[in-house]
Amino acid sequence: MKIAISADGCELTSKVAHRFGHSRYLIIIDPQTLSFEAVENQSSEAQSGVGIQFVATAIERKVTGVLAGYCSPTAESYLSANNIEVLTGYRGTVEEAVKKFREISLPDFLYQKSLPVETKGIFHKKAVLDALKSSGNQLLNMLPIILGVVFLIGLVNTFFLKEFTSSIFQGNYALDSLMGACLGSIFAGNPINSYLIGNELQEYGVSLFAVTALIVSWVNVGIIQLPAETAAFGLKFALIRNIASFCLSIVIAICTVFTLIFFMG
Amino acid sequence: MFKKYLTKKLFFPVTILVIYGITFAVVPDKTLTAFKSSMKIFQNLIFPLCFIFILMLALNLFIKPKHIIKYIGRGMSVRGVIFTTIAGIISMGPIYAWYALLKELKEKGFENSLAAVFLGTRAIKPFLLPVMISYFGWIYTLTLSIYMILGALAVGFCIAVTAKE
Repeated sequence: MKIAISADGCELTSKVAHRFGHSRYLIIIDPQTLSFEAVENQSSEAQSGVGIQFVATAIERKVTGVLAGYCSPTAESYLSANNIEVLTGYRGTVEEAVKKFREISLPDFLYQKSLPVETKGIFHKKAVLDALKSSGNQLLNMLPIILGVVFLIGLVNTFFLKEFTSSIFQGNYALDSLMGACLGSIFAGNPINSYLIGNELQEYGVSLFAVTALIVSWVNVGIIQLPAETAAFGLKFALIRNIASFCLSIVIAICTVFTLIFFMG
Repeated sequence: MFKKYLTKKLFFPVTILVIYGITFAVVPDKTLTAFKSSMKIFQNLIFPLCFIFILMLALNLFIKPKHIIKYIGRGMSVRGVIFTTIAGIISMGPIYAWYALLKELKEKGFENSLAAVFLGTRAIKPFLLPVMISYFGWIYTLTLSIYMILGALAVGFCIAVTAKE
């Protein structure tokens, strides 16, 4: 009997990877004899479909089960379709994970989907800690750029916002929406930054048409993300979606503001 | 890897810091004004950021990617569109991660038009709504959100008509 464990290294003392397939090695191990083989991941983390290689390896090596911290639903469906059980919630080293697996007892393995009791339930300590960690990481990821944008806004406000806004935004609702959409299309990143910039532009007299078009196109139109979108969906899809989104951001801006004017006066 | 991550994330704010240093050397008074203006913006942002954290925590606790996958429709039915719209709104994380997943789903029959709807509705971030409301008001936020959903559906329709496979 063999099981597969996604790990950061090629030894039993290596850490179990948080996500199955997104690691440097796949350890194929006999949990009883502890004899093992480390298969190296040939793809880099940045490439899409990197997890699929390990799924294919697990199927090819005819493992009975897979241990991981987390397994994506797509990978799990492929593995389950090939009668490979997926056990999640594993942490620590490969050796510790195998020991834990052996403690569960091998017959029970066939009927369990994840570590019992201590990890089930959304309000369990582990689930809350994981959610806290994930939320903290997401916020920390956002913060440096937000801080950069906030302090950049201060500079722009002080040194040249008035001249910039009066030259770009003329007061015509259609043209302002177009310029707002153009600006939003160039920028990328967390949309909170578009709210910050939009609010400052509005305080400097730029119309809500332009600000709304900026906010909408910021997220929906991605010149910077175009290569990644093309790789995932093809050039035709990426171009049509971005062009349609650009045009619609102008339409949405005009509709939103006119709706507000209509209902609120 | 952490060093690379740190370099990537801190490059922009450090650049801004350097610009502040240069402008302070040239025009200290105006730079101080700029700094005070930025601090005022940041102070107004602290409360919404705390609220964002709480919302993120709630979403991470209650909604997992496998729930979102379950909701994504696989056909152009009304139900599929509604579920894909909901999935796009509640999805979190960088778009690059979702490109990979959507590509995998596409190989299993996920329509391009639904992918366009999903990507369009990702523009609505529930956990960022408090910030938008604090800046623009709830009526504006609600109106814009509705039009953004309609816009996403319109883009999905464009894709369905023009980028058929």
